[in-house]
Formats: sequence, C-alpha cells, structure tokens
Amino acid sequence: MRILYIDTTSNYLYTGIVEEDNLVCEIKKKFDHDLSTMALSMIAEMFNKNDIKPIDINKIILVNGPGSFTGCRIGITIAKVYAWTLNIPISVISSLEAMATTNLEYGFYVPVIDARRDYVYAGIYDNEGNSIMKDQYMKKSVLEMAANGMTSDYTYITNDNLELDGEINSYNPDILKIVERYKDREDINPHLIDANYLKLTEAEENLNDRNC
Amino acid sequence: MKDVYILGIESSCDETSCAIVKNGKEEIATIISSQIDIHKNYGGVVPEIASRQHVKNITIVIEECLEKANMEIKDIDAIAVTYGPGLIGSLLIGLEAAKTLSFIYNKPLIPVHHIAGHIYANNLVKEMKFPLLALVISGGHTELVYMKEHLNFEVLGGTLDDAVGECYDKVARVVGIPYPGGPHIDRMAEIGNANYKLPIPLNDDSYNFSFSGLKSAVINLAHNLEQRKEELNKEDLAASFQEVVTTVLAKKVEKAIDEKNIKYFITAGGVAANLAIREKLSKLCDEKNVEYSFPAIRYCTDNAAMIAAAGYYYYLNNSFSNLIINAKSSDVLK
Repeated sequence: MRILYIDTTSNYLYTGIVEEDNLVCEIKKKFDHDLSTMALSMIAEMFNKNDIKPIDINKIILVNGPGSFTGCRIGITIAKVYAWTLNIPISVISSLEAMATTNLEYGFYVPVIDARRDYVYAGIYDNEGNSIMKDQYMKKSVLEMAANGMTSDYTYITNDNLELDGEINSYNPDILKIVERYKDREDINPHLIDANYLKLTEAEENLNDRNC
Repeated sequence: MKDVYILGIESSCDETSCAIVKNGKEEIATIISSQIDIHKNYGGVVPEIASRQHVKNITIVIEECLEKANMEIKDIDAIAVTYGPGLIGSLLIGLEAAKTLSFIYNKPLIPVHHIAGHIYANNLVKEMKFPLLALVISGGHTELVYMKEHLNFEVLGGTLDDAVGECYDKVARVVGIPYPGGPHIDRMAEIGNANYKLPIPLNDDSYNFSFSGLKSAVINLAHNLEQRKEELNKEDLAASFQEVVTTVLAKKVEKAIDEKNIKYFITAGGVAANLAIREKLSKLCDEKNVEYSFPAIRYCTDNAAMIAAAGYYYYLNNSFSNLIINAKSSDVLK
C-alpha cells in the first residue's frame, strides 16, 4: 500500500509517500510566492527520484484546509484530478488535524492559523487526535478564552507570527505519523472534494447581511 | 498525417470548460459549466467565488467531456490550457488540473494565451487565412491583432480604459438591466432609434479604443433626463450607444484593413456575438472585398474548444511547457 500525502494549505509544500508504515520520501519546503508554480513539479521530481510512477499510488491523503485559499486549491486540484483520473481512493483531513498530530505526549494541542484582522482558524485536540473543540473561524481572543478553560496543559501549534497567551510550538509535520493516524479515514468521491475554507467569501457575507 | 487530438482546459474567468478538438479545426466535444447564475447575485464576477466554483467543477467537466467524446486521456496527444490573462485564482485551477494530467499521462503541456484562444475559435468555423486582422471584443478585452501567419500576433492597438463588453454591461445597468445586461442592449437597440447624441470616443488616427468617456456620457445623459423629469427612451438610448460603438470599431478596422493590406478579417470574444457589430463589420468587409468569418455564437464566450484549437498549432511547433509554469493575470499576446 503506497499512500501519497499532499498539503499545500499554507506557504509550505508538505508532501510525501508512505509505503507499508515507512516514509519513503518527503518534501517540506517553504515558498514565498512560487508554491503554485513549483508544487506539482516538485511532486513529480519526488516520484522520479524514487522511481515511483503515478499509477503506483494506492491512496491519497489530502489536507483540504483551512488556510490560504489559493494554497488550499492548488493541492486540492492536484489531488482530486489525480484521484479521479486514476480511480485512486482519496480521503481528506483538515490542516488543523494535521497540525495536532505531533509528538507531544501530554495535554491538549491547539493548532492555530492566522486568518488576519484578529481572527484565526483553530481547533482543540487531545493527544490522540480527538477533537475537543471543532475546527472553526473565530476571534483570537475567544480562542484564548477557550484554551484557558481547558482542564489540562495546552500547547498552541502554529507557524504564523501570532501572539498567543501560552506555550507555542512551531509546526513541522510528522508525515508518517499523520498518514498512519488517518489512513483508514473514509474515502470520498473525488468529484465531491472541496476546500475546507471555514469561512464564506466577503461578498457572500455581505449578501447574507443585506438579506437578513 | 496522423490525426492530432488536443484536450483543452479553460478557467480564466467564470466558466469552467473542457474540450477535445481534432486537428485544430474539428470540435469533438465541449463542456462548459457557467457560473453566471451565481455571479449575477453580486452584480459581476466575484473572483474568490469563481475560484471556489472552478475547484468544485473541474473534474466533473473533464469527465463529461471525455464521456461525450467517448475518449480517454490516453487517446489525447497533448493538453492545452489557458495560462492567462484572467483572474489569477481561476486560472490556477485549470492550469493545475492540466499540469496534473500532463504529469500522470506524460502528455505534452501547451500553455495558451486566452486571446489567442478567442482568435482561434474562428478556426473551428472556417480555416483561417493570412495576413489576418482580428478584432477581439469581450468583457475584458478590446484589441486589434494582426497576424502574418499562424501564432504570429502583433497587437496593433487596444482599449486605453474599459473593454467594450464592460461598457455594454454598464450601459445596461443605466437602463435598469441587471448584470450581465450587455447582450440585452443589442436586442433593445434593434427596436430603438439612434436619437440621442453621444460622442464618438477616441475618434483619432490610432488603433486604440476608449470607452470610459462613452460610458460616462450615457450615465450623464440618463441623469440629466431624470433631473429634468423627462422620460428616458431605453431602446433609443441602446440604439444610440450601439451606433457609436459600431462606428468606432468599424473605423479602426477599416484603417487596419487599408494600411496592413488585410485579406482576411475575423472577430472574436463574447461581444462578437453582437448582431449589430457583425452586420456593420461584414458590410465593411464586403465593401473592401475582404474575406471574413465570425465564430459560431457558442464559441464567442469563453470555452475550451478555442484553447484546444490554438493548442493544435503550438503542438505542430513543439511549443510545450514543463511543469514549472505559473498563471499570469496579465500578459501581452505575442
């Protein structure tokens, strides 16, 4: 069983191939502007270097957001076209689930992504990946209140430049661990795969406000 | 020579489209998923919503196209895709899908300029001949393009401000027709009389166009009538506006025909569906003894068949891209 992992929801390309509980290869690379230009080319290079053909993949695990809207769509388009055209099973996880899959062994994890203007995308997870507070778009101050209310220690996980009232760990995905944790997640029809934006567009919000 | 099948993908604005074209001339199948019903709620295309819709639609559109053509991607010779200009978030979806198919099936990837695609829509109707003059008129573009031969584009002139289609939509709004109202102006003009006096914009010796002054003149006219509590005859305003537009377009086309010794003229783009413009330009071409063709109405608006048609000629030139290519929101046709 060869599993391809794809996450382009931030300004990082995180991708790798896991085969029978082993991480065969991975890429973790930060991009300032060129993620959309380079993502597929780097994935293709990873396949070539390891002598793996696209058809050799048996499953795709895709991170479908939240995060950068454009970034989310790059990985989603690659993954859904790939899964659809080769009829490969595909399942999705949220970027916050991926971020909460760390090697910490105690307390709660609070993955946080900056959504600007004092808002964040965040969730709260226990150390087995169970969701304690569902992923949501929320005010940073409200998240801090929620985290403060936890009964045990908590650690924020983020790669964004955010000031938060607690211990902060940066995010460096353990792709093998994430794939192992989520490899049995239910497959989705590739046509139905969409981004997990957690937020309407501004135009939709304004229209909804006018209609209220 | 072996037949060449190009799969085209177009997602530069609010239409997700996939098509298969044989030898640059014969449409095998085209699927277009339009988002117009969504965007009309907002009075125009909302870029972020357009991008979100493209992601939802992309695989469905490609699958339907292949089913309609009764073909598989392995039967295709190359993948052509619009890389620009257009809405960056929208372009990226089609481009990323095309790159992925190119990678998986090891097929050549052909990036196509959106305007080149519009011009080659004509090739699906009648094989293009050179030297050729193309008038590209749409919601985002107004350009006069000279072509000495296939894929040799020289932009003679373009709009300095609003595109002609954009101006049509704005005028439609003035007479109370919601977005996208441009096509209605053509129909209203047919029953109106050009009684209102409007200025002919950029009535000079260049190949350029300008439509923002005309738009303002229409808005001011409507406003002044309202102030004087006089009734605006919408059909007459549409006819007056359309008269000015067709006059200025024909004037610049005539200049290019004369100066560039043009033997073949085409129009392209969404506004090329406008019947009054077709009539005026075909009459001009008849007078000048210039052969002409207009794209079928279904090829006027954004579609992937035109991208696949242009892609065929790039295929013959071996003009392929590697996977390191980005979408461009603006790019000069060359």
